[in-house]
Amino acid sequence: MKTSGATIPVLTICLILLVVWYIACIPLNAVVAEAKIAAAGGGLAATLNESWNHARPVIPAPHQIVVELWNTVFAIAPWKVKSLLYHCWVTLSSTLLGFVLGVALGIFLAILIVHSKILSKALMPWIIASQTIPILAIAPMIIVVLGSLGLTGLLPKSLISMYLCFFPVTIGMVKGLNSPDIIHRDLMRTYNASASEVLWKLRLPASVPYLFASLKIAIAIALTGAIVGELPTGAISGIGARLLVGSYNGLTLMIWGALVAASVMAALLVWLVGYAERRTLTRMGVKPA
Amino acid sequence: MAATVIEAKDLSLTFQTADSPVYALSKVNLTVEDGDFVSFIGPSGCGKTTLLRVIADLEQATSGLITVNGMTPQQARLARAYGYVFQAPGLLPWRTVDRNVALPLEIMGLEGAAERVRRNLDLVNLGGFEKKFPWQLSGGMQQRVSIARALAFDPKLLLMDEPFGALDEIVRDKLNQQLLELWARTKKTVVFVTHSIPEAVFLSTKIVVMSPRPGRIIDVIETGLPRDRMLDIREAPEFLKIAHRVREGLKAGHSYED
Repeated sequence: MKTSGATIPVLTICLILLVVWYIACIPLNAVVAEAKIAAAGGGLAATLNESWNHARPVIPAPHQIVVELWNTVFAIAPWKVKSLLYHCWVTLSSTLLGFVLGVALGIFLAILIVHSKILSKALMPWIIASQTIPILAIAPMIIVVLGSLGLTGLLPKSLISMYLCFFPVTIGMVKGLNSPDIIHRDLMRTYNASASEVLWKLRLPASVPYLFASLKIAIAIALTGAIVGELPTGAISGIGARLLVGSYNGLTLMIWGALVAASVMAALLVWLVGYAERRTLTRMGVKPA
Repeated sequence: MAATVIEAKDLSLTFQTADSPVYALSKVNLTVEDGDFVSFIGPSGCGKTTLLRVIADLEQATSGLITVNGMTPQQARLARAYGYVFQAPGLLPWRTVDRNVALPLEIMGLEGAAERVRRNLDLVNLGGFEKKFPWQLSGGMQQRVSIARALAFDPKLLLMDEPFGALDEIVRDKLNQQLLELWARTKKTVVFVTHSIPEAVFLSTKIVVMSPRPGRIIDVIETGLPRDRMLDIREAPEFLKIAHRVREGLKAGHSYED
């Protein structure tokens, strides 16, 4: 395996981070732990104990997050509201729906853009402008407007994911659809191939590597979009809701649990896209590296 | 007398560039007859590829007349009158060899694709390589696949733009011999662009010597060599005589530049 050489350096970095984290907990938690340390009579043992095991720490120690995750993931049935898995599923479902919608929109726009100079000029400024608006500013408006139309729950959140993730797909696919060589385009011209034949037999297959590069970005920001979409609604479920409830109530452990869950989901989703990429490219006969 | 396949009269093509116009073709007159093997030879910039592209309707002439099978190049292209082989093989990397050869058949919706693919791969001696991807083949094999692809829909006319230019001389000799056999067997009309004198003399029934700035024809040589020639004809005196005339023509075309 190629990865085996990397194991030791990676573990070393992890270990260093953990040590720094534990040490940092002591001064950072001093504010909340001071009284308890004094009550326990001071000293190193009491300081460490209180800094690393406070119920509402400023920065929880790593083992506290592990315990929090254990309690909310494995110790509770996944369909209960207190289960982190339940909230993950709520966010994941809206992420995936938004991703599918965003990718479809992104590919559709790219196809329009590469086929028409006028559409390219008309659409591109709007597409780029759409990404300069902070999502935190536009998300509440989307949620509120759609809510007033009677649309709540999954769809408004998915639309925010879609809004974020169509962009890299459009940009990547415009490049990908335009990637075939002049020779290939001339070749299709000598066959008198129609635009749709050129699209299906040349442009789309040629764009697949570009598509996957975009999909990896898109899936990660679709997740961010779903979480952001859960914030302004005062949503009662989803990773975003856990972050919100945690910060309202000073439950740092809940926040950290949700953060870890979000990162694990993001990593899994990106890995899945990478896996699909490898499978697809192998089937398309790409020369093994 | 054989039927005329390509006829050009006073054909000119000028590219408008930012600073000054480029006279790619100037007053070109040319006749290609059915069954001919015609080579365009000349230094780069002499318009030989441009002329081929005008025949293929990949470029449009600025003035003059040109017909392909008695039609305009556009009508001929729409009638799928010719197969075109480019400088690079231009195979689609995600398609196996057989599916690359089948590409024009799919687009044209022709019957009996499997049989046509098999027959044309046999013609370029690539039977058995159907399921390989292009990267698994050598450069010479890839170019042979692209020839099979150009022949797949059985066009009467084969247009080849320096197809062996990127290959080494040994492979090139072999492919020249194979191309000649293929031409003899299929009775196609071939228009072939090259900048190699031995290649042009060896392959052609007619050599069109061209010169740059402006791109024009300075000599047309009927070679008259026997059709079933072998590579060693290149040592024969009549071969060397033709090669000499081509070289003289190229030299003359160069005389008043630089």
